[in-house]
Order: sequence, then structure tokens, then C-alpha cells
Amino acid sequence: MLTLRGITRRFGDNLAVDDVTLELRGGEILALVGENGAGKTTLMRIAAGELTPDAGTVDRAGEAGFVHQHFLLVSDFTIAENLALQRSWSFASLRTLEAEAEAIIAATGIELHGPSRRVEELSVGEKSKLELIKAIAKKPRVLILDEPTSVLTPTESAELFAVMRRVASEGTAVVFISHKLPEVLEIADRIVVMRRGRVVLETTSMTAEELARVMVDAPLPASVAPAKNILAIVGVAGNGQSQLAERFRDEHPDAGLIPEDRTRDGIIAEMSIAENLALRSSTNADTLINLFSIKATSANQKAGDLSGGNQQKVILARELSRKPRMILAAEPTRGLDIEATAFVHAQLRAAADDGASILLITSDLDEAFALADEIQVIYRGKLSERMPPDVARERVGALMAGIG
Amino acid sequence: MIDVIVHALPIAIVASTPLLLAVEGELVVQRSGIINLGIEGMMLTAAMTAVLAQQSTHSVLAGFAGGIAGALLIAALFGLFAIRYRADQIVTGTAINLLALGLTGFIYKAVSGLFFGTSALSEVAQYAVVLIAWIAVPIALAVLLWMTSFGLRLRASGENPDAVPHVQRYRWSALAIEALLAGTGGAYLSLALSSGFAENMTAGRGFIALSIVIFGRWKVRGAIIGTALFGVTAALQYTLQAMNIGLPFHLLLAVPYVVTLLILCGIAGRVRAPEALGRRD
Amino acid sequence: MRAVAAAIAAILLLSLSALVFGRSPIELLSILINGSVGSRFAIDGTLLKSVPLLLTGLSVALAFRAGVWNIGGEGQFIVGAIAAIIASRFGLVAALAASMLAGALWASIATAMRLWRNAPEVLTTILLNFTAIHLLGWCVNGPLQERGAQYPQTDTAAVALPQLGEVHAGLLLAIAASVAAWFLLYRTAEGLRLRATGFNARAAKWAGIDVDRQLVRAMAMSGALAGLAGGIELLGVTHRLFERFAAGYGYSGIAVALLAQLHPLATIASSIFFGALSTGAGELQRTANISSNVAIFGQAVVILVLILFGSWRARD
Repeated sequence: MLTLRGITRRFGDNLAVDDVTLELRGGEILALVGENGAGKTTLMRIAAGELTPDAGTVDRAGEAGFVHQHFLLVSDFTIAENLALQRSWSFASLRTLEAEAEAIIAATGIELHGPSRRVEELSVGEKSKLELIKAIAKKPRVLILDEPTSVLTPTESAELFAVMRRVASEGTAVVFISHKLPEVLEIADRIVVMRRGRVVLETTSMTAEELARVMVDAPLPASVAPAKNILAIVGVAGNGQSQLAERFRDEHPDAGLIPEDRTRDGIIAEMSIAENLALRSSTNADTLINLFSIKATSANQKAGDLSGGNQQKVILARELSRKPRMILAAEPTRGLDIEATAFVHAQLRAAADDGASILLITSDLDEAFALADEIQVIYRGKLSERMPPDVARERVGALMAGIG
Repeated sequence: MIDVIVHALPIAIVASTPLLLAVEGELVVQRSGIINLGIEGMMLTAAMTAVLAQQSTHSVLAGFAGGIAGALLIAALFGLFAIRYRADQIVTGTAINLLALGLTGFIYKAVSGLFFGTSALSEVAQYAVVLIAWIAVPIALAVLLWMTSFGLRLRASGENPDAVPHVQRYRWSALAIEALLAGTGGAYLSLALSSGFAENMTAGRGFIALSIVIFGRWKVRGAIIGTALFGVTAALQYTLQAMNIGLPFHLLLAVPYVVTLLILCGIAGRVRAPEALGRRD
Repeated sequence: MRAVAAAIAAILLLSLSALVFGRSPIELLSILINGSVGSRFAIDGTLLKSVPLLLTGLSVALAFRAGVWNIGGEGQFIVGAIAAIIASRFGLVAALAASMLAGALWASIATAMRLWRNAPEVLTTILLNFTAIHLLGWCVNGPLQERGAQYPQTDTAAVALPQLGEVHAGLLLAIAASVAAWFLLYRTAEGLRLRATGFNARAAKWAGIDVDRQLVRAMAMSGALAGLAGGIELLGVTHRLFERFAAGYGYSGIAVALLAQLHPLATIASSIFFGALSTGAGELQRTANISSNVAIFGQAVVILVLILFGSWRARD
């Protein structure tokens, strides 16, 4: 269906995709696996024609549909209007919008009712369905889904997999980008592993441990006992976590604050590391760089040039060096590799041991259970009661889906 | 008091027709996600090119065409920087205003006979423009923006440009529409209302138009109401003067701007601008 | 040094535009240069013009640095001068202080409207400019008009800035302000917070900065600088107020700030450049009968060229 040959692509200094050759076959579900920054999304965007490669060729038999990780929807418009955006250039009237929308949705076989509803009223799962409908409606030969389950409940993920299987059985080449190993093993016919821009493995059978090892060249970390004073708020992304975090920030301006979006809200990219640190911490910048093992050329390097993991370290250094009594950590390890994740967890544990109370907001259940001694679930802006980890383990799935 | 207002209304409508055209044009552009601060310079340029065209051809129609042409030139320049080069829209708009101010002032001093004393338009023509601006254009815009596929995509460009393929098309189209409208407004100002061109004659109408767009919540209905409201209150400055209220002349000149400031005060709370308005990506 | 390239490019473009009006570009260029730096008289004129430009440029630079669009330099300049002449009976220091206070207050009207009513300051500051112009008109035709009541102007101010040769002491004040602004931005915690807010207000909030208060302070300082410009221009050059007192110094500050890449010390050089342009343009009008509006046109060209070179935003 689609063949990529010798694809290379750079973004500035960063070699995102390094001489990759890959074939996408009709009727097959291919899982593209790897850590953040491995090059999966970039490669697939090139396959879909959204980006041009610096070198290599793309042989495409037909159109490629792309379901993006970050929804390309207009929140103020209705479902029907969003679908109408796909129509070709015309001055035609919009009277039949809703009927057309229902026809499009029905043809894809996905359940999404009420096309006159505004996108901002939809749940995250429904928005994700809309993105999928947009992509499938064009009957593409290749369908690429980028981390589609990161915002879905287990039930919704199962529904998605059913659709993927059906689409594949109709002859489309389906590509599923993910870093969640259990799902990959469940759905994929073929697995391709990427690391640092290159394909390191292509296989049709593997175990989770084997996969993990190939992805990062390191064994899975052993589980650790949870710390005290850490309350984890878990939930699927988009259920009110950001508002909760902002409320906390406004109520406790002196607390240690680790925001969810570290590049946009955490560091000031145009200022140096030293300046970023000086915003809240009076400790010498070089000392902090050493203490937190921040990989940088100097304290004067622009914070925006650092990798995600190192940016997070700068934020941690800035906040934790003040030894605050309360700490808010929102998705602190999102997009970080295993080493950086372990570092962040260790820092949070140390702070908790020192007596700080930590509010951890995360959509990563493993992280929540590893760190917290109390768990709450957030759904559509409302919080469940606090539970100890063993109770939470039973109920979390249902609570995250809004049941029970 | 009601008496005064009722009498002021027709004058206000005619006098604020250029303003309304500017508001309507800027509305379309902002709906597509762009802030054009340079509409002031656009109108000023149009006012001059309209006079130049009319004076050399003695045709009113040519005058209006000239005005629109001048506005299109400015729009092209603005679009080049704001759309093609993705430059900061506020800075670009400010530069455009300075450019227009300098250029028109320059030409005004170099060419004579730009001020002729009587309106170049017949009464019928004047009222035709007023009717077009206050009735035809709003209807046309409402249909275009809210009842066509083109309009849907244009509005989407202002909400989430990433969801729209070929966003630039819609933004350039919006600028062209604005040039058409603001160009007509500028031409009307110099040819009909002011009998010729004078330095800096737009006197901030562009900025007032920007304020009214916001006040009107980026809707056509709001544009009309806002402009009418402004027009009436601003016209009061003349009636107050005539009534010898005792407020000094110069302070009365400040009335339109103070009124606009008050109008901007009336937008407290959640003002839902187009999501992507002014973004550089 | 893209800024230097932009300045040169702008001058060249300006000279070339002379062709449109049937003049030789070389002739235009030579008059410009002669008229601005070609004689002792010209240099003095250039320096005099650059003082208010330096201050209004600093005003814009400081505000832009904090992420605020203060386009109200014109109005703040005017009210600063009005306050200065009223307070001049109490001495020089009082007059200067009054001009700064008035400028700060005038700017704060826009800040208040932004914080309480969500009104965009890019529009409110401009509207306040027009308001200030008419306020000035009222003053010089009414309450502040000269005793003889013949012309729309005030009496001479009670004090004046001391002279340093052909230039007035305001030059030193302006340079001092420039150094102070640099020190504030790069050597103090307040400056760090201000710049952080300008780069990324969201991240600044997450770093514990009270963004609203920061805005208030930044706008007040910005307004004070523009007000001071007006006070100095009054007490050093014109010595009395009249209509059209501001003559575009406020708006010119934008070009000055952008050419200086928003850097306080570079504003000194930038203001001299535009001062030269303005003085040279005056000479053009005198000798070649080309309207001095070329100076305004020149500012616009510089800004556009800067945008083209992609370098108006400070890159440090």
C-alpha cells in the first residue's frame, strides 16, 4: 500500500528519522513502537504526506488518513460543522449539514450520535471518535493512528480496536503508534520498534519484556514501596486536571509547582537556565545543575535548547531547592525516558520523606500506584473519595470511565 | 432629550458609514484569525487614492475604484508580512499605519488641488452607499460567513487554523474583502463627507472600528448596533456644541474617543474572541 | 547585526523612492546626511531630536519587554508636558517628577481597563493618545493659555533645563534613564520577572510571579518614561506648550525601540539614527521641498525591513 525507502528527516540539529525503510501492507495492523522522541510520529507524518523527507522516497498507492494525537477540531463548531470542513472548496449552502454528517458517520460504522452538539461539549472519548471518523470517511488506503488510546478508557480502547480490525479486514493498511506495550501485543499483526530515529526491530511475535528491552536497552525497573504524604489524582487526560492544577496554584502560590506542560508553562525557553532558576530559587545555578545532574553546556544555555528530561530537571531544581511544604506535580514524567522518570520519582519521594505534602496529578496509573499512598479519581471535573492503593486498584477502571 | 437623539440619528448613520464599512471589513478579517491594526492606514490611503482618481478622471466611480485599489495595495503589503512571513501582526499593522501616514502626507504636500470644497457625490449616490453599507453588506456577510462552506472554513481559520487545509487562502480572501469595504469607506469619507483629502483625516476611525468589532462580539448584528451607538453618541458632540452647553470645543472633540473607551469598558467578563486570533503560526 | 543592515537598507530604499518623485536618489541621500551630521548646527539638531526619541524608545522597549503593547507614548508625552508646565512654578525637580507621574497615571488608565474590563491595551493606549491631543488643545486654548490670549499656546515655563553648550541637560537625563533601564532589566530581580512575564506569561505564573501586578508596574514605568520625554522637551527645547506639541515623538518611539531590538543601551544609538533622519528630513524640506513626512515613511520602512530580516524581537 505504501512504501517508505531510505527516509531521513532533521529538525535543526535533531536527527528525527535516520534512513528508515518500511513497507505498509493492506489488511495488516502494524504497531510502531518506541519511546518518546524515537521518531515514530515524524516518520508517519512523512508517510501521510504532511511532512517532506530530507532524503528518501515515499510510494503511496492512495490517500493516507491520519488520526492525530492532538485533536484538530474546532471546539466552537458542532460535530456536523467539523465534518463539513473536510468538504472540498465550494460556496455551497450549509442547510443539509446535519443529514450529511449522519450519513458520513453511519458509513464508517462508528457510534457517534447528536451531530448538532458542539465539540466543546463532547467527552474526550467522543472527540477521539470524531477524529477517527474524519480520517476514515475519506476511505483511505492507509490509516495511521497516533497514540489514540492515551486519552481513552479501557472500554473505549476496546471499541477502537474493533474498528481498527474491521478497517484492516477491508484491505486498508493500519498503523498504530503507541508506547503502551500490552495493547501493542494485543492488537498488532506486526511490530516495528524504533529507537533514536532508526528501526531496530521488525517482528511478528514477542513478549513484553523482550519488547521493553529493545526499546530502551534497559530492563524494566523493579517496583518500589509507595511514599507517605503523596496523594495521586488519576484520570484520563481532559477530565479537569488542568483546572484543578490551576486552582491549586492560585490557592497556594508558595507551593512547589511542576506544571503539566513543561515546555510551554514550566520553563521560559528564551531565558537561560540560570535565569529560569533565579526566578524562584536563591541557590547558585551551578550548584543546582550539579545537584540535579542537568545535562547542559553551561548555566547560560537557553532553557529551550534542553531535552525534555533536562527541562524537567530544571523545574524540579527550581522548585524543590526551596524545600516547599507543599508540592504540585502535574504529569511530571510525561514523555520522559525511563532514566529521567526514575530520577523524578526519586526526587519526589525524597521531598515527601522530608515532610512535604505532594499532590500528584497523573494519567499514568503505574506511576500513581508506585508513588502514592492515597488515590483519588477525577472524572468530568469531579473527584472521587480518597482510597488506599489496594482499594483503588479494584475501582479505578470503573471510576475513570465514570461508572461506580 | 429623545428629540435630540432622534434628530441626531440620520446624521449619525450617514456620518458613521465609513466607520461601519471598516468595522464590517475588520470583522471578516478577525474572524479568519488576523488582527489588522493597519486598517487605519488602509482607509487613509484609500481616502487619498480615491481623490487622486476622481480628480484626474472626474468620475465618481473611478474615484471609488481608486480608493479600493489603494486599500488593496495596503492589504497586499499587510498580508505579505502577516500571512506569508508570519510576522507579528501588531507591529506590522503599526508600521503600515506609519507608512500610510507618511506617504499620504508626503503626496498631499506634493500635489495640489486635493481639497475641493463640495461633495463629489450626488445625494442619490450618497444614500446609495449608505444603504449598501447598512443593509446590503451586513446581509451579504451574514450569508457568506454563516451559510456557505467558504464561510465555515474562514471562521474555522480563526478558531483552529490547523483544522483547515490551505488556511492562507481564506485569510487572503478576508483581507481582500476588507480592502473592498474599507476602501469604499475611505473613498466615501473623502469624496462625499469631507470634500477632499486632508492630512490624517481618518483621525483614528480604524482604531474605533477595531474597538467596535470587539464590542459587537465579532458578529454582524453587533457591528451594526455598535456603530450606530457610537455614531449617535459621537454626533452628540455637535448637538451639544450647537446647544451651547458650555463644554469647550476642544474637549468635545475628544468625545468620540472617550465614548470608544467606554465602549471598550463594556466588554468585561468573558469575551469570546476567535480562538486563534493574532496567533503567528 | 541585522539591525544595522536593516537601518542601511531602509535608508537606501528611502533614497530610491526619490525616483518616484523625479529626484535623484544620490541628491536625496546627500542632503539627508548633510542636514543631519554635516555641520555643528546639524549635529546639535540631531542630538536635540534624539533626546525625546531616546526616552519614548525606552518607554516602548520596556513595555514590549514585559509583553504589553504600550502604543500610548504620544499621549503620555503630552500629559507629561502639561504636568511639567503646571508644576514648573515649584522648581525643576518638581516639574520633572510631575511629568513622570502624569505619564505613569495616563498609562495606568489603560492598564486598569485591561485588568478590570479586559480591554486590549493596544487599542486603549491609542485612544488615549487622541484624547490627550484634544486635552492639550483645550489647555492651550483655555485654562493654560498665555496671558495675552493671542495664540493657542501657554506662557513660558517658570524654569528651564540648564544648557550644555547648544544642547540641554536633558540629554544627560535621557542617557541616565537608559543606563537605569538596562540595570533594571538585567541586574535586578524585578527586571528578571518583567522579562519572564514578557517572554511567557503562563510560565511566569507557574513560576510564582503575579503577572497582573507585574503588568501594572511595567506600564507605569513605561508611561513615566514617555511623560519624562514630554517634560524634558518642554523644559529644554520649546519652553511653552502649543497645539501639535507632540509631533509624533510617541509613535516614533516604536521604531526606535524595534531598531534597538528592545535593548536599553542600544536605544541610544537607535535614537540618534532616527534623530538624524528627522533632522535630515527637515533639511530636505528646506532645500529640496520634499515633505518632511519622509521621516515617518522612513520609520515605517525600517520596521518593515526589520520584520523581513526577522530580527525585531530581542534575541538575547
